[in-house]
Amino acid sequence: MNRLNLKKWQKILPFNLLVWIILALYLLPIISMVFTAMMSTEQLMDPRSPLYPARQLTFNYQGKDYPLYNVPTGSGIRPMALFQPGAKSSLFIDPQNPGAAPIRWVGGWRSLQGLYEFHISWDNFTVMAKNLPLADMLRNSLLILFLAEIGVLASSIVTAYGFARFKLPGGDLIFYILIATILIPDKVTTIPTYFVYVNLLHWRGTIYPILLPWFFGSAMYIFLLRQNFRSIPIDLEEAAMLDGAGPLQRLFYVILPQSWPVVITVSVLHFFYMWNETRTASLYLSSANPALMPISIGVQVYESRVPIQNIIEASSMVILAIPVLLLFISQRYFMQGIVVTGTEK
Amino acid sequence: MQKSKKNARQYFGEWRHWGLLLISPWLAGFFLLKFFPILASLALSLTNFYLLEPQKTEFVGLQYYIQFLHDPDMYTVLNRTIMLALAIIPVQLVSSVCIAALLSNRRLLAKNTMRTLFFLPSVIPSAAFIFMWQGFFNPASGWLNRLFLNPLGLAGLNHLSGRGAGNSLFILTSLWTIGPGMLILMGSMQGIAPELYEAAQVDGAGRFRRFFSITLPLITPAIFFTLILNLTAVFGGAVMMDRGYNFDSNLSSYDSYIYFYLFRVFKLGAATSLAWIFLIFTMAIVITLFITSKYWVYYPDPEKRA
Repeated sequence: MNRLNLKKWQKILPFNLLVWIILALYLLPIISMVFTAMMSTEQLMDPRSPLYPARQLTFNYQGKDYPLYNVPTGSGIRPMALFQPGAKSSLFIDPQNPGAAPIRWVGGWRSLQGLYEFHISWDNFTVMAKNLPLADMLRNSLLILFLAEIGVLASSIVTAYGFARFKLPGGDLIFYILIATILIPDKVTTIPTYFVYVNLLHWRGTIYPILLPWFFGSAMYIFLLRQNFRSIPIDLEEAAMLDGAGPLQRLFYVILPQSWPVVITVSVLHFFYMWNETRTASLYLSSANPALMPISIGVQVYESRVPIQNIIEASSMVILAIPVLLLFISQRYFMQGIVVTGTEK
Repeated sequence: MQKSKKNARQYFGEWRHWGLLLISPWLAGFFLLKFFPILASLALSLTNFYLLEPQKTEFVGLQYYIQFLHDPDMYTVLNRTIMLALAIIPVQLVSSVCIAALLSNRRLLAKNTMRTLFFLPSVIPSAAFIFMWQGFFNPASGWLNRLFLNPLGLAGLNHLSGRGAGNSLFILTSLWTIGPGMLILMGSMQGIAPELYEAAQVDGAGRFRRFFSITLPLITPAIFFTLILNLTAVFGGAVMMDRGYNFDSNLSSYDSYIYFYLFRVFKLGAATSLAWIFLIFTMAIVITLFITSKYWVYYPDPEKRA
């Protein structure tokens, strides 16, 4: 039994090790971001500091703190406090014998390796929280998200049901048009719609141009929902119809209760999309009405103004946290895979 | 078989326009937000509409199209967009197939968690995304130099970072947008019947042979779908969770050329002709892909499969 187990592990472990290494490399920039966000600016400027958030150890000598370095001496490498840095030689204090006179060490102190301890600095987050109206921007984002979700789910579900189960004039042509609209680049429609929103409806500085399109459904989600609705056996619907249920009743009482995974997948996909949405928000909101800016564009504007890497990374972490959390909560539905059986009907 | 035919289309003996009514939200949106705007931009592109003097608008026919077809700047920005697509799409496609294959492997431990972790970069907002990579590429404090290039003595390569156009290191960042494609490919791989692999194993086919002769041909529909998805993402269509490459005008030079005519020069006629040239170009590529797809995409024949 034991040997069997061992054999099994011998087969499994090398493969999983490979996957873990690939994953670590793949996520390296995220790890780098998390560490940088918790670094002090001093550490960021110090090229010999460790990769993890840290601060240099110091030694208190006569009421003042001096940084510790590993100094090669006659009796091996010893940690010493830099008392008086100089260009050619520097004065050091031996922490084990602070009563003695400072020791002169010849050589450039900048070539010495410092001593560091793990230390998290939360300053970047407090600086950002002080400069950014995070609560307001979060409220804007959630309002936009909530309305857009309602709009896109209601219209896409109803439309997908129409495509999945009903005969349409023109046969499959309408469905092909639906697929084709996914492929049309925004560039072509942006100019006339911008003109209508801004010059005719005077919607510049409002959230309406961001929301309105979603109330007409989204071709991509309609496609995903339709594929799923079609995989549900039709018998139950026929039974419901014999009992006198109309199309909308069948959708709500027969189809939807069996389609929660795909509905959740679509709403989570849309959450990610809207949370990240900066294109229309920057076009209609950012300069016209900064008070209504959602958090994604607000943080982006802020980041372009603050050229300090660790504060930028801290603000990145703030907008990253919510989608990542949602991803882990919804993984059960999400990771079943979005099943697309080709582009045939 | 019986079922799929029943499933296809049904009247249900009801009012025959229920279908049309149900799809009407999308249909209205199609006309209001796609069809009419496209027609409007076509009409606009045939005029010399100038935002500051709208009363002087005249019909100029194909004048702007002819002008742009002789405009070296147009070719420069178009070329840059094509080069970006040619660099990014193969990288994305190959890596998403490979990762999907790894994540569908039976020997993988903690399947769901691993899949979620590989999907994670795809949900990172663009505001975080771009600065995160800039931090990673930073020549002084970035991890790319400190962990890989400095020990190998290759730090000189990294002057490619920063914000220049044609930034080859940023192609790496496109690896972080493969999530949705990866999920689709994974779903497709799970749909393959295990008997096929068992039969091949009995016949002595090795692991790689099984991958190239069974998995790859059977997931071609998903590969095709992912290819279209990646293509539209690079060219600025509306796709799943698309972060777009528009957040950096260096990476989307065609857009910035359009925006130049739109927001700096205020020549809407010229801007819309540029957009239409791009539409024709994209559609030509997509139609070519659809036509060639029947030679390399495997479609199971529903009649024979029963």
